[in-house]
Amino acid sequence: MGHQYQAIQWNKGKVQYDIAIVTFAVIYIAIFMAVGLMAFATSDPIVLMIRALGTCAFLLLTFILLIGPLARISDRFKPMLYNRRHFGVFTFLVALAHFGLALTWYHGFGPLNPLVSLFLSNQSGGTFPGFPFELLGLAAFIILLLMAATSHDFWLNNLSAPVWKALHMLVYVAYGLLVIHIAAGALVTEKSPVYPVLVIAAFGLVSGLHLITGLREAKNDALLNKMEAKSWVSVAAPNDIPDKRAVIVPLPGGERVAVFRDGKKISAVTNVCRHQNGPLGEGRIIDGCVTCPWHGWQYRMEDGISPPPFTEKIATYNLKMMNGMVFLNPDANAPGTYVDPLVIGQTAEQRS
Amino acid sequence: MVETGLLIAAGYLGVGLVVAVLFLLLGISRADHAANGAKWPFRLIVLPGLILLWPIILGRWLSGRQINQNIHAGDAS
Repeated sequence: MGHQYQAIQWNKGKVQYDIAIVTFAVIYIAIFMAVGLMAFATSDPIVLMIRALGTCAFLLLTFILLIGPLARISDRFKPMLYNRRHFGVFTFLVALAHFGLALTWYHGFGPLNPLVSLFLSNQSGGTFPGFPFELLGLAAFIILLLMAATSHDFWLNNLSAPVWKALHMLVYVAYGLLVIHIAAGALVTEKSPVYPVLVIAAFGLVSGLHLITGLREAKNDALLNKMEAKSWVSVAAPNDIPDKRAVIVPLPGGERVAVFRDGKKISAVTNVCRHQNGPLGEGRIIDGCVTCPWHGWQYRMEDGISPPPFTEKIATYNLKMMNGMVFLNPDANAPGTYVDPLVIGQTAEQRS
Repeated sequence: MVETGLLIAAGYLGVGLVVAVLFLLLGISRADHAANGAKWPFRLIVLPGLILLWPIILGRWLSGRQINQNIHAGDAS
C-alpha cells in the first residue's frame, strides 16, 4: 500500500494503544518511587528514578518480546501485535531517560567528560564489583537507538526488507545485554537478590515461550515436509474457520497460507504481508479486505490486490470443498490472480 | 584511548549530520518518491537514522537508484 510518507500514522486504535502503554509506564514508575521511598527512607530519589526508568524500559521490552509467541498460542493476544512499532519507540524513549539521568548523575559532576567517565568506570576486570555492567547497558541502548531511528517505513524501503529485518532482530541481543546489565548492576550496587531474580524470571519467560512456539511450528513443518507437495492440503471444516478471521496452513517447504472466512465466503492468500512480512493470517477481515495485524495494510480476499488507489499484490491459492472439508492447493497463484471464493452451502456444480 | 574513540565517533556523527541535512534538502525526494512532498515532521523523524547510517544513505544517493516511483502523491494510509 504505497503512500506518501507521514511522520507518524495515528488512528483511533493506535492512539488508544499508545495511551495504554504510557499510562502503564507512568503508573509503574509512580508505584516504584512510592514504594522505594516508603520502604527505604534513606533512598535517594534520583537513584530510585534511574532504577524505575531502567526497569520500566526492561519490562516494556519484555512485553514486546512476549507478544509474538503469545499471539501464536492464543488469539486473545493478536490485537497486541498491532502497533508494536510505537511500543518499541516508546520503550526506547524510556531507556533514553534512564541513560540520560544515569549518565548525568553518576558521571556528570567530575572533571572528566561524562562519556569518558562512563568508559573508565568499573574496569577492574570481570569480577564483581568491578564488572563493567554500564557498558553492557550502553551497548543495548545503542541497539535500541538504531532500531527506534529506523522504525519508519522509509527505512524499510531504503534498507531493503532483509537488511531491516536483520537489524531489528538485534533486539534479542539487546535483551540479553540488558538481562546481564540489570542483574550485574544490582549485584554491584546492592545485596538484594530481587533484581537478579526478577530479571532472570523475565528472561526465562521470554526464552521459554519462544522455544515452545518455535518447537511447535518446527514439528508441524517437519510433518508437512513428509507430505507430497502436489497433493491438496486439508484446511478445516468451513465453520471451524472463525468468521472474519483465518486459519494459518503451513505447507511443505515452510510457506504459510492464510485461509480467511468472511461470512459464507472463504478465500486463501499467502500469510506474508508485502509491507514488513507481517503475518496476515493473524489479522482479520475489515471492510471486506484481509487486514494485516501489524500496520493495517489491506488486500482483497479474492485476488490479493490492495484496494484502490493502492496496487500491491500478494499470492492467492485455490480451494475446494471435499467431504465437508476445505482443501487447499499448495501451488501458489501469481500475485493478484483472481480466484472465486468458496461459498459455504454451494456445491461444486453451482460453482462451475 | 577512550578520548580518541569518542572523538572518532563524534566526527562520524558530525559528518552524518551534514550528509543528513543535505540529503533531506536535496536528495530524498528523488531517491524515494514516497518522500516527495512529505512534510517536515517526517523529515525530522528520519533525521536520527540518517545521521547514524549516513554511509548507506550516501551510497544510495550517489548510485542514483530511485524507489517508490509508482507512488500516489498525496495519498496517505
